[in-house]
Amino acid sequence: MLVDDNPDRAQLVEERLWGSGFDVVSVIPSATGLLFQIEQHSPDVVLIDLQSPDRDVLESLAIVNHHNPRPVVMFTQQDDPDYINQAVNAGISTYLVGDIDPAHVKPIIDVALAQFRAFQSLRNELNSTRVQLEDRRVIEQAKGLLMAHQKMTEEEAHRMLNKLAMDNNQRLPDVARTVLATLSPKGGGKTK
Amino acid sequence: MTSHRQLPPPEKERLKLGFMRLTDSAPLVLAKEAGLYQRYGLEVDLVREVSWANLRDKLVVGHLDAAQLLAPLPMMTSHGAGGMRANLLTGLSLSLNGNAVTLSWALWEKLSGGRHRDPVTMARALKAHIADRSDNPLITLATVHLFSMHTLQLRMWLAAGGLDPDHDLRIIVLPPEQMCDSLARGIIDGFCVGEPWNTVAVQQGIGAIAATGYEIWNNAPEKILAVTETWHNHHPASHLRLRLALMEACQLLRDPEQKLAVAELLSQPHYLDLPVKNLLPSLTGQLVIARNIPPLTLPDFHVFSRYQAGFPWRSQAQWMVRHSAALLGKPIDEASCRALVQQAYRPDLYREAARYLDLPTPDRDSKPEGIHRGTWEFQPGIEMGPDLLLGGEGDITVD
Repeated sequence: MLVDDNPDRAQLVEERLWGSGFDVVSVIPSATGLLFQIEQHSPDVVLIDLQSPDRDVLESLAIVNHHNPRPVVMFTQQDDPDYINQAVNAGISTYLVGDIDPAHVKPIIDVALAQFRAFQSLRNELNSTRVQLEDRRVIEQAKGLLMAHQKMTEEEAHRMLNKLAMDNNQRLPDVARTVLATLSPKGGGKTK
Repeated sequence: MTSHRQLPPPEKERLKLGFMRLTDSAPLVLAKEAGLYQRYGLEVDLVREVSWANLRDKLVVGHLDAAQLLAPLPMMTSHGAGGMRANLLTGLSLSLNGNAVTLSWALWEKLSGGRHRDPVTMARALKAHIADRSDNPLITLATVHLFSMHTLQLRMWLAAGGLDPDHDLRIIVLPPEQMCDSLARGIIDGFCVGEPWNTVAVQQGIGAIAATGYEIWNNAPEKILAVTETWHNHHPASHLRLRLALMEACQLLRDPEQKLAVAELLSQPHYLDLPVKNLLPSLTGQLVIARNIPPLTLPDFHVFSRYQAGFPWRSQAQWMVRHSAALLGKPIDEASCRALVQQAYRPDLYREAARYLDLPTPDRDSKPEGIHRGTWEFQPGIEMGPDLLLGGEGDITVD
């Protein structure tokens, strides 16, 4: 059973789990209904997104009901301690339900872990692309403004920005932002 | 005020401090916004988390340096109950009180007749109501975590009305943010939660407050500042500086003006992301328990520094371990209980910080409970608050 409020990622994880020979009995976005879902499907393993507030709900079942979800960390002492750290990094937490052998669970976690990670790096990539584009845009704007104000050529404006960056030990886009803020008639570079 | 030159330099300056969307995270937020962390040479990033399990796990794996946690959690985590096992410790309690029991509007109205009643009368009325409807499905109440003062207070309140919390009704765990929605949809009949979620239910008209945590146990422990034992051993100076910044924030929160200001700060999107009107009633001690009823004046609804609020009492920690262990169905023997408390609750660390601020501190690590109706003197210069609890006097043994 998978609890994840990110539908795209959930779908990816579910497909890979099926592909690796595991039955995914239920995929739910949040734990509203988590207790009911567990009763209905009696899963062996619950994979839950760390960003889900429902981990406290799951853990309470573990304690109150003797048959219940135990965090997998309790069984991984034999694994390298790094494993838990990796799972937390990827944003995933795993609980065992019933008497399943923890050794059988590792492959399941591995599949989910790989997918969560892939998703994360995709998102990071997207973010860094966005930042790069924004940086380039700001630099171009600052150059334009310098050219207009100081009657410089593009070449000269570029050199001036570079020199400012070196002298102030700042990144080029940061210098460009300062230039925009100082020279722009509106008192700041407008965004978008 | 302390001279920082006397303080040892921090081993680590940039710290990640975890918190939850609750009104009593006020000291953590105020310390940031008032520049108190900076004053102690720290740069603190506040990290909002969605579950106590996340706070605990991220502390344990080192993704957080410190976190606001439920008072019983350090011992129960050291004990290995319910999740990752690791030695956690606290040298500073962040707040007393702050919770309440809210029932659905219909149930509250039926039990109270639409008037403000004392908590025991309400609990007895609930017992009578449950006896009347023996064929109906069980009443379900929610709490925020098994090892929390919320669970213990809810059970004390039920027991005071003659109810057996294990058989007469059902107690489940839900995240604080889901309480109101679950109540509105009839999934639960009531809950015990920290503010602002009781006030949110009252303001939405879906519930009313049947008992405040203060009424159940005057000045009960609530949130603490937790770190792992390993982290503390590697960063004693950073930990000391963090406690000092937070102690100063707690002191600022005595001032009613600061409480108004902190409500504005807390309401911001990156903190609680809720309207100020949800936060003011409990912070200002003007609590509205039900629509159409004038607010009650409860100046001690949240206590951040009065009555030695920052002191981690080992007697209270022992009480919490005993009662939390009883919920596990596996009692912890006295020797282990004592060992857990010695390791997790560190009054010596509180005293260390208090010396820098020239604050007087209690000489002993234990205090009586269930005896004092008003303020009293623990020792010369140490004023304590009332400590009555439902269920009568002498309920807590002190050693």
